[in-house]
Amino acid sequence: MAADITLLFKASVKTVKTRNKALGLIDSASRDEPSCARRNTRQRNGFSCKAKEVISNISKLKDFLLQHRKDYVNAGSFMSPDVSHMTDNERDQIDQDAQTFMRTCADAIGQLRSEKDRQVVSAQVKDHRAAVLDLIEVYLKGVCKLYSEQRAVRVKRVVDKKRLSRLEPETPCKDKPQTDVEDNNDKSVSDSNVDLWEDSRVEDDLSPEEIQMFEQENQRLVGEMNSLLDEVRHIEGKVVEISRLQEIFTEKVLQQDTEIDNIHQLVVGATENVCVRVCFILNFALQNATALRVWQLYGLSPACVSLWFLSCVTS
Amino acid sequence: MAASVREKQAAALKRMLNFNAQPLKNTAAEPVWKVLIYDRFGQDIISPLLSVKELRDMGITLHLLLHSDRDPIPDVPAIYFIMPTEENIDRICQDLRNQLYESYYLNFISAISRSKLEDIASAALASNAVNQVTKVFDQYLNFITLEDEMFILCNQNKEHISYHAINKPDIMDTDMEAIMDTIVDSLFCFFVTLGAVPIIRCPRGNAAEMVAVKLDKKLRENLRDARNSLFTGDTMGTGQFSFQRPLFVLADRNMDLATPLHHTWTYQALIHDVLDFHLNRVSVEESQGSEASPAGARPKKKNKKSYDLTAADKFWQKHKGSPFPEVAEAVQEELDTYRAQEDEVKRLKSIMGLEGEDDGAISMLSDNTAKLTSAVSSLPELLEKKRLIDLHTNVATAVLDHIKSRKMDVYFEYEEKLMSKSTLDKSLLDIISDPDAGTAEDKMRLFLIYYITSQQPPSEADLEQYKKAMLDAGCDLSPLNYIKQWKAFTKMAATPANYGSGGVKPMGLFSRVMNTGSQFVMEGVKNLVLKQHNLPVTRILDNLMEIKSNPETDDYRYFDPKMLRGSESSIPRNKNPFQEAIVFVVGGGNYIEYQNLVDYTKARPGKRVLYGCSELFNASQFIKQLSQLGQK
Repeated sequence: MAADITLLFKASVKTVKTRNKALGLIDSASRDEPSCARRNTRQRNGFSCKAKEVISNISKLKDFLLQHRKDYVNAGSFMSPDVSHMTDNERDQIDQDAQTFMRTCADAIGQLRSEKDRQVVSAQVKDHRAAVLDLIEVYLKGVCKLYSEQRAVRVKRVVDKKRLSRLEPETPCKDKPQTDVEDNNDKSVSDSNVDLWEDSRVEDDLSPEEIQMFEQENQRLVGEMNSLLDEVRHIEGKVVEISRLQEIFTEKVLQQDTEIDNIHQLVVGATENVCVRVCFILNFALQNATALRVWQLYGLSPACVSLWFLSCVTS
Repeated sequence: MAASVREKQAAALKRMLNFNAQPLKNTAAEPVWKVLIYDRFGQDIISPLLSVKELRDMGITLHLLLHSDRDPIPDVPAIYFIMPTEENIDRICQDLRNQLYESYYLNFISAISRSKLEDIASAALASNAVNQVTKVFDQYLNFITLEDEMFILCNQNKEHISYHAINKPDIMDTDMEAIMDTIVDSLFCFFVTLGAVPIIRCPRGNAAEMVAVKLDKKLRENLRDARNSLFTGDTMGTGQFSFQRPLFVLADRNMDLATPLHHTWTYQALIHDVLDFHLNRVSVEESQGSEASPAGARPKKKNKKSYDLTAADKFWQKHKGSPFPEVAEAVQEELDTYRAQEDEVKRLKSIMGLEGEDDGAISMLSDNTAKLTSAVSSLPELLEKKRLIDLHTNVATAVLDHIKSRKMDVYFEYEEKLMSKSTLDKSLLDIISDPDAGTAEDKMRLFLIYYITSQQPPSEADLEQYKKAMLDAGCDLSPLNYIKQWKAFTKMAATPANYGSGGVKPMGLFSRVMNTGSQFVMEGVKNLVLKQHNLPVTRILDNLMEIKSNPETDDYRYFDPKMLRGSESSIPRNKNPFQEAIVFVVGGGNYIEYQNLVDYTKARPGKRVLYGCSELFNASQFIKQLSQLGQK
């Protein structure tokens, strides 16, 4: 085993001091002390200070989690009389706070990392700081693990509770009327259920009111589930129809598309035909018309002239 | 001694790294960062015990060598783990003057002298750093633990305490004293860490006796010094549940020179013999591929890959003492199991894909999610397993290549027969003149073993024949000179060592048929089965532990540091067999002896044996030392 010779060392220091004094050497220690202290304090601010801060924050979180762990996880064991109930709200609050806290710590670590890269220091110091940040991260991960374990236990308890509450026998309550299946009773029923459940945990079997309540709750839930199922089926059918119609629609559209193409072709053809014919007819007509005009001109005008001559002669 | 030596040393190191306070078991503890500074001795001690990842987990951000250029890292505590030599002390004083770190925790591997402590004190005073030197400790960890039950003294400067250094003919008394002091210092540290004061037995008339005398004196001094005794109170608290004291057997290498030269067949010893294996790290050369290179091209560069064989490697722990063919089969088995597990994971993946379309109930989903989570969480294990399988495949393939090219199985069989004095089916001359059976070194080893183990030395004519054959094969004959001298010397002193009635049974045809199915095609390599036999060291230990009477060990000296009157020729008072023993070979040891002791311990439940040696060498290193000695 190791031997602690620190005291021996201190004794040697004293020996050396007395020896130096005896030899008359000036004790330069007293002069250097203030400068050393100043140097130390200057170096203290900066990286390691911030790193230590982050660590102390994470430790605070860890202590807080551990302190309230018992209450958090304790989903109501009613054997002990002086247990402090933690409501779900408080639990959620703890969850949220813890998460934001962890995120801020992670951000702080990231910040320190980027700062360290920017600073100009020797390679060994850089390695050292990188390793320090890794250590802090590992510590943070450990604390996060604590938190997530706690949370997992809580969620598991809730799930177990729900499962347990479904295992109640349904047979004696099938003829009970499903009177109050109202939505705004949900919360109160579940709350009262939870309260009743908590209150009567001490007895093993439940009183008939509870049985009835649970029965009604069960019926309601079954009805809800059924209606949901129906709606889903309905919607499914509608969706199927819509898809079918959409198919037809696309078919028709495609048909119309082809028809339009055909028509387009025809129209183009017809237009061409018409153009050609029209030109032809117009020419022909023009010629005819010219002939007629010519005939009219050279026929009618002398006739008119002769008629006028005749009228003049007769008058 | 419920915890093994390795655990004790690792625990001591972890304490030191936690500022010499007991490390807490709390997993989510605040990280405290520190810088570790060590010298080469410290590095050799730490590297087999703690990996870099473990150092990081303990908060060590940087680990640096003492004599490297170090930059000032203010506001960080520094832990030093160094030997108290002159240059190290100077460097510490320099560090103190340069104000490199915020606080200094000095840990010396072995005890520091008062004058050196005053040097540090004066440097601290001069630079006004006295308050920064927070703690100074003597760690007493001056030995290297390689396995749970095996330790060596040092790796750096091991030439100073090598076999050659101890046995060279022109050694001076001062040198010898220095060597003995080094060895005794390390052994003392070992016993302090172990927390037990042993009963020492040693043979007469050699280096082992000198070590025993000095060690006894040092232990006695420390026990008498009630104020500073390291063996009282809380140091004994941890794990000291056995009421019996351990037996410490000092052996000398000269008692058995054949074992270090022996060709071996177990996995760990083979790796040490054939590949480059130091401090649990093996380097394997891998060639780039088997395509023929075009003529005139430069030779392909060989990759050197190094692997760490650690305590966490379960395959290694299970098979490091197994004969090589068993190892080959075991690797094959591991590969098959790994593939089966991989297929299982793939199957789960496809099942999950199909089941995802169903509107399953919660129970079915949770069942599948449970399977999936278990598969996902076992993925890192699977990857780790694959890495280990690859490692062992590479290492075993490299070893197998060597075995095939050097025909080491032939040598092994022959040497076993020589050592057990059973009939030889092939003449020695044939093997030596055979050109493609092994390297010149292998032939030299074989001949030396023959020379050592033969009852009468071979006649001059035979010797000349052998020498000529070996010169033809290219061997260097200087080790032979030294062995001749040694044989002459030991003949005067005692009877030659008897290597026990062991033997080798080749399994021949059947095994060859079996092996062709496995990945390692061991054609031509016989599957040899080792019969349990005891090497000389093991036999001596057996005699001493079980208090058997045997002419070899009857005149061993007996030392008990706890006895008030230290009389030199005290007769052994203890009549009960010992439950724990430590065997230490002065002059060097190897894995073959270690494996033999492990096998001996396995056959006797309730007994624990630790093995230590001043240095660890394989056969080629030993031959070098012998040839240096033979040339003088």
